[in-house]
Amino acid sequence: MEKQSKPNTPEQTPVIELRHVDKHYGQLHVLKDINLSVKKGEVVVIIGPSGSGKSTLCRTINRMETINSGEILIDGTAIPQEGKELARLRAQVGMVFQSFNLFAHKTILDNVTLGPTDVLHVPKKEAREEAIKLLKRVGVDTQAAKLPAQLSGGQQQRVAIARSLAMHPKAILFDEPTSALDPEMIGEVLDVMTELAKEGMTMVVVTHEMNFARRVADRVIFMDGGAIIEENTPEEFFTHPNTQRAQDFLNSIKNH
Amino acid sequence: MSNAHVSVRDALYEAPGPKTRRRTAIGTGIALAAIAFLAVGVVRQFYITGQLDSKYWSIFTKSTTWKFLGQGIAGTLEVALTAGVITFGLGFLLMLGRISDSKVVRGIATALVEFTRGVPTLLFLYFFFLVVPQFGLTLPSFWKITLPVAISACGVVAEVFRSGVKAVPKGQREAALSIGMSKSHVFLKVVFPQAIRYVIPALLSELVIVVKDTTFAYVVTFPDLMQNAKVLISNYDALLSVYLVVAVIYILINYLLNRASDFAARRRNRTLMAAQQNGNKGV
Ligand SMILES: Nc1ncnc2c1ncn2[C@@H]1O[C@H](COP(=O)(O)OP(=O)(O)OP(=O)(O)O)[C@@H](O)[C@H]1O
Ligand SMILES: [Mg+2]
Repeated sequence: MEKQSKPNTPEQTPVIELRHVDKHYGQLHVLKDINLSVKKGEVVVIIGPSGSGKSTLCRTINRMETINSGEILIDGTAIPQEGKELARLRAQVGMVFQSFNLFAHKTILDNVTLGPTDVLHVPKKEAREEAIKLLKRVGVDTQAAKLPAQLSGGQQQRVAIARSLAMHPKAILFDEPTSALDPEMIGEVLDVMTELAKEGMTMVVVTHEMNFARRVADRVIFMDGGAIIEENTPEEFFTHPNTQRAQDFLNSIKNH
Repeated sequence: MSNAHVSVRDALYEAPGPKTRRRTAIGTGIALAAIAFLAVGVVRQFYITGQLDSKYWSIFTKSTTWKFLGQGIAGTLEVALTAGVITFGLGFLLMLGRISDSKVVRGIATALVEFTRGVPTLLFLYFFFLVVPQFGLTLPSFWKITLPVAISACGVVAEVFRSGVKAVPKGQREAALSIGMSKSHVFLKVVFPQAIRYVIPALLSELVIVVKDTTFAYVVTFPDLMQNAKVLISNYDALLSVYLVVAVIYILINYLLNRASDFAARRRNRTLMAAQQNGNKGV
């Protein structure tokens, strides 16, 4: 893809960088010496078997999960541990969850405007105008006055993406954004994500949608047992992966 | 829409079959007969002892009686509402303490919750009535009744709030944190407003207890409904009739509170249910 052929100028610090990240849940070593660097505009897809640590990895990037050792940098700045500084950093990294997590008591419009007004102190009117634009962009602007529970799963997830976009994040993390959706709604969410990728959004996507990964990813990360086993281009990875474990994983999902 | 409303019973048990229905009918019959028998017995006893004599009931034809009772109702409502507001405030603070990150704060809040839940209202009342004045602080009788009632309820209110907070899915908090909201804003703007919705019925039940506790007002001679009833009784020597009428008034007040609670619960269910139906259509 052309994004990859961008000149790698020295001032181009990675948007997301993990260095020697380790995490334990008690005895369980869930992340093992993770090193990962995501450049501006890159789309990195993380795949791997259940329990391999994909969600945990994703969630450490905006410190929803703490780490035991190593370093995580956003745009060259180490993630602060707590307080206002941490909040400010989280505002720069969007997150889209498997279960949408729209604010259940707020209308669709208010879901999108809450972040800008509360965190960025954007005037209400301005925030509403932008929210409507974003909702239009993800195709749910006609639902603006409804409550989340009144929308289909696919619509809710698209609103969740709009809610993230409203913060003008430097990157967006997606943790299995389509796994809770009925099959007929998966496409509409993947379309929005594909659109975002084309527009140059930096994205880290945990997914089981192999076609999406093949089409949209700049890089595929394969995880197993808490470690990154393989890092490859999608073409290479899906046709002839370098590792046996990745091959076994791809075979196992093909047989389904 | 009413038939779409699934009661707890419907949700927990399967629909009764013919045998169960017959057994239920027999049970209902026996219960009704027993109640009728008791009622007749009570009324007969009243009649024999002369409690149905018009002299006990004629006072209720006078407007002054009703005016006096009305003042009592106003007093009761004043105390109950003020105590309600205070107890919700205190309960909110205690709940914040209970979920605090600080172990010390949590410990203190837990102790206060247990203390206020465990001590009977009357003891708090005696404290404000008998102990506080010894320190040279004489409160108006309104506060001598309102404060103990409020304090006595606040521990339960705190726990009700906390159960609501715990019921809010953790994804709500995470989503709010992930857009960069501060912890306090996440709580005040996302978690607590949802928690409240879960516990409105439980909070209104606690208000019913507050209303009942206001009847201790007679101890501090604050003119609430109970106190005024006592005055009527001693003036007219009409014990039973006045107590019956006053009981009915209390039942009405609390019935209205329960209706409000049902209404609130049903409105919430209805929104959710309408929501689900629309959601499936995927408009
Ligand atoms: N809060 C927790 N406490 C203890 N163990 C946890 C916790 N969260 C996750 N784990 C464990 O950590 C490991 C990695 O979990 P993680 O959710 O990151 O896997 P995953 O790759 O996202 O799996 P899936 O595809 O099922 O979502 C699993 O073994 C899981 O059981
Ligand atoms: Mg996961």
